[in-house]
Amino acid sequence: MKKKLGLVSAIVLMLSLLLSACGFSNSKTDEKEAPEGVEKTESQETKKEKVVNLSLANDIPDLNQVLTTDGISFTVLNNVMEGLYRLDENNEPQPAMAESVDISEDKLTYTFHLRDGIKWSNGDPVTAEDFKYSWLRAMHADTSGAYADILYNYIAGGEEFFEGEADASAVAIDAKDEKTLEVKIKSPSPFFLGLTAFATYFPLNEKFITEIGDDKFALKADAILYNGPYVMTEYNQAQGVSLEKNPEYWDKENVDVDKVSLKVIKEQSTALNLYEAGELDRVYLASSDVDSYRDSAEFGTETEFISWFLQFNHNTAPFDNLNIRKAFQLAFDPQILTKTILNNGSEPAYGLVAAGVHGDDGKTFREVNGDLIQPDYDKAKEFLAKGIAEIGKLPSIEILTADDTIAKDTATFLQSEFKKNIGVDVQISTKPYSGRLDAMRASEFQMGISKWGADYNDAMDILSLWIGDPPKGLRGNYSSEEYKQYINDAGDEKDVAKRLQMLMDAEKLMIQEDGALGPLYFEGKAFLQKSNLKNFVTHPYGASIDLKFLTLE
Amino acid sequence: MSDSKKLENDDFPDKLFQVVGRKQSESELISRPSISALKDSWIRLRKNKAAILSLVILVLIMLIAIIAPFLSGYTYYDTDYDKTFQKPSAEHWLGTDKFGRDQWTRVWEGTRISLFIAFLAAFLDLAIGVGYGSISALYGGKVDNIMQRFIEILVGIPNLIVVILLIMIMKPGILTITIAMVLTGWVTMARLVRAQIFKYKNQEFILASKSLGASNKRLIMSHMIPNTLGIIIINMMFTIPAAIFTEAFLSFIGLGLQEPLASLGVLINDGFQAMRNHFYLLLYPALIIIALMVCFNSLADGLRDAFDPRMRK
Amino acid sequence: MKKFVVVRLINIVITLFIIATATFFLMKMLPGSPFDEEKLSSLSDEARLEFLAKYGLDQPVGVQYVKYMGNLAKGDLGISYYFKGQEVTTLITDRIGPSALIGTQAVVLGLSIGLLLGIVAAFRHNSGWDYATMIIAVLGVSIPNFVLAALLQYYVGLKWGLLPVAFWDSYSSSIMPTLALSLTVVAMVARFMRNEMLEVLQQDYIITARSKGLGQLTVIIKHAIRNALIPVVTILGPIAVSLLTGSLVIENIFGVPGIGSLFVDSIKVSDYTIIMGLTLFYSAFFILTMLVVDLLYGIMDPRIRINGVKE
Repeated sequence: MKKKLGLVSAIVLMLSLLLSACGFSNSKTDEKEAPEGVEKTESQETKKEKVVNLSLANDIPDLNQVLTTDGISFTVLNNVMEGLYRLDENNEPQPAMAESVDISEDKLTYTFHLRDGIKWSNGDPVTAEDFKYSWLRAMHADTSGAYADILYNYIAGGEEFFEGEADASAVAIDAKDEKTLEVKIKSPSPFFLGLTAFATYFPLNEKFITEIGDDKFALKADAILYNGPYVMTEYNQAQGVSLEKNPEYWDKENVDVDKVSLKVIKEQSTALNLYEAGELDRVYLASSDVDSYRDSAEFGTETEFISWFLQFNHNTAPFDNLNIRKAFQLAFDPQILTKTILNNGSEPAYGLVAAGVHGDDGKTFREVNGDLIQPDYDKAKEFLAKGIAEIGKLPSIEILTADDTIAKDTATFLQSEFKKNIGVDVQISTKPYSGRLDAMRASEFQMGISKWGADYNDAMDILSLWIGDPPKGLRGNYSSEEYKQYINDAGDEKDVAKRLQMLMDAEKLMIQEDGALGPLYFEGKAFLQKSNLKNFVTHPYGASIDLKFLTLE
Repeated sequence: MSDSKKLENDDFPDKLFQVVGRKQSESELISRPSISALKDSWIRLRKNKAAILSLVILVLIMLIAIIAPFLSGYTYYDTDYDKTFQKPSAEHWLGTDKFGRDQWTRVWEGTRISLFIAFLAAFLDLAIGVGYGSISALYGGKVDNIMQRFIEILVGIPNLIVVILLIMIMKPGILTITIAMVLTGWVTMARLVRAQIFKYKNQEFILASKSLGASNKRLIMSHMIPNTLGIIIINMMFTIPAAIFTEAFLSFIGLGLQEPLASLGVLINDGFQAMRNHFYLLLYPALIIIALMVCFNSLADGLRDAFDPRMRK
Repeated sequence: MKKFVVVRLINIVITLFIIATATFFLMKMLPGSPFDEEKLSSLSDEARLEFLAKYGLDQPVGVQYVKYMGNLAKGDLGISYYFKGQEVTTLITDRIGPSALIGTQAVVLGLSIGLLLGIVAAFRHNSGWDYATMIIAVLGVSIPNFVLAALLQYYVGLKWGLLPVAFWDSYSSSIMPTLALSLTVVAMVARFMRNEMLEVLQQDYIITARSKGLGQLTVIIKHAIRNALIPVVTILGPIAVSLLTGSLVIENIFGVPGIGSLFVDSIKVSDYTIIMGLTLFYSAFFILTMLVVDLLYGIMDPRIRINGVKE
């Protein structure tokens, strides 16, 4: 009997140990705990805390702004940090840490004037030196991450510094005084102000990082200094983060929400259940659920700057033949794909640069350059016949795709369209995420389903991918001197209109004349959002959710 | 006793009586026809209603899986973008999926592929496991020791890691999934066979056979194998549903077959994602996988009882 | 006994070494790197290699292997590539808690219900109880647990609002994942226990005990259950290991921040150090559990006496 008692108590002990070790998040704080007296200025009715509950689709890999590369981390960072500029609801950069900027006549020198009263969450002022420190850190070979190029591609002297050929003094970042930051860039880049809103451009406080230690920085909520609209109170990579309104934020009057929780929920169906149970205020829908909610007032869609396209490999038969490429380009209707299969707000693509990407003032690039391609099965068959006459016989064709649902569905769709519309049997080869990239890098593919998400709001972002020298397998080994000329000239052009024209010509050349790839669609997302959430801003690139403007009714 | 005495006193002639018990001449006779162990097991299995019912259902499912795709007039890969997500109807008996493909055809096609994978995996388990196990047991000594160490290492590797790694490295498909499952799956079979042969190796009937001059081949073929057959068949019956489940799990975490091929696992995964609003997409493949699991398990249970001579009554 | 344990422990170290080696080379065959390859691919090939060189990933696999094993010998599992800067040990210990909690609960719950069902079924052989148990046992191993989990979440969580739909907020969050996991345990244990009990009940010593005039209940509790329990220990080992170390699907459905999803994700993003750390952790845990099971078996069954390893 004693033995059994011992066993039972051992189990009980183990269970209680486990319970203490398993870290329930328990973020539902009582209202009593809310700091009193801080926000006494608010009127009596709004005394109740405004709390918003959102979900993240995956773990948070890394909140070190210099190293991180993924959208989830960017999203979290963008709400607790702030760069010189911040994107507004129309994705236009608006002054944030900077109050204003002077741009020189040659469009190469930017002099930022920092705002008064901007502070870190520990009360220290944010200075021009903080920006300089952060940017140098992001470009130094020892401390930088994969996004170092988003700085050194633009900032004069950055590349030499990154390569170790020059020291920090050669980099054209000059903190003239506490409030003035002067930056020289390599070539006129009309999107540079937008770049300063990107996470890698956020400031960092050197003193704080030295105190915390390089290897401990950003691993915990209290190992980051914040200067954004919110501060992070809890951080667990597998569970999510809790944010609270930042009392030190310069624009705190315009931040309406007191607390935000962003919790990791990987299963979409679970997120939907949580939304219906009232535990989440906004949720992204799986395409199979869209039809049932389409008429709901809470339903909405958003489109991102993510272009999906069918990349032909110009070095491999049969796609080394122009006519064959053109045949496959015209042989599918992306509208069916976006309407019936993806069904999530994605837009059919008739060009490469995503809908919504900035073009001429007020107009998007897509609007000014128009539809470059339209499905036409008869023409496709003509091209195919011509192509076959030239090469003799069509070899067996494989379409390479990653193994996520969207990519696989797209491949299945293309397979059926090629069969139906031009009578060509195509096999699908599914590879895991990096497997597809590896195969494409090694040029071991005929055509592959690819995508590119923009890092900044300009057509240059995606169009400059095809000027690699030597040509890259990942970009289908497409190589055209004429195309390179357009892109390089556009990079040096100071006149905005001329620059735009060059980029437009480049896109036309690549798609219409060279048939380098087949545009598929611009990725979208369908969501449900509780009706009391207003001004919920999402950006189509970089950090997707911007909670600064959010209000709760 | 007094009663019988009374009767004896009564006047009954002997001829009115006949012996009802065992006659001396018949006591050495074999009353039942001589049957082999397999046949005997079959007779006992036949008495197990659940097992027989399972067997019938399984055969039925397999037959439908072969015939069904021809009945509907659709193929498992034909898409129809005007008819996506249709509820079951006369036109599409089990509805259509997000590509407008006929779900009836896909479900049975999937059943066929899942069964194929399961049988293939079970067969490979059998071939490797029986070979390895019997060599290990028959040679014994050092050979056995080395072979057992190897098994111990193999068992220690978390098989999920091996399976996922293999699928990521090799070209995904029926064969890859099967190989990945067999790679660690045969171990159970090998262990069982080894233990069984060890058990029989030194038993009297083997010794008797040996002393009567039986060759090694005869020993293996007519004594070892028939005696281990039961355990082999039972283990296979448990391997098949396990393989179906593993395949379903792999598909569920996105490491399944190539489109447009479907297995039950792929279908359940697709159905799971659409279950909120198109429950029928999950329901039918799930029902079939449950039916398969139930039947294989009941049959295996029945077989175990049937092969166990102690269950004879 | 002591010698047996020592020899087994040495064997375990050798086994772990071989497993680590095999996994390392297999893992290095995975395509890509642990980094955002989409981003890296936009760099020139040269810049990409330079970036990988920073993490020593440009070296030959053999060199990387020797380095890793050297660190491992010092007890250093390294730092995650994907969760940059996080130590593998911390990541594993952080995630193991929730998985172990629902796993332990599922084992305890499944074991208690399973044993009870098995005993009753055997005792009332061929009764309604027996058939009901068998149906539960067969269904339990036949229904995929994620289907059960999804149904539980939808009805118990959302429709009836009895338990939290998901998240990992309080103890009640762990109930539904536990239930979803325990069904299989119930089924396996019930079936196993029933068969063992039936066998034991036919044994001579039970008949002896009965004919001594002992009550049915006493016989069952004192003799039958005790002896039938012994073999259950053998199946409990593997079940416990697989449950305690997390179930990917259940964790994802209920938003449990456990180790199961870390496991699959780490392979998908080629996070080498985590894959190695988890493999070693799993293997060591599994092998040690097996050792404990063997020892327990020896203690519980007096017929088995371990006197060193047979050679």
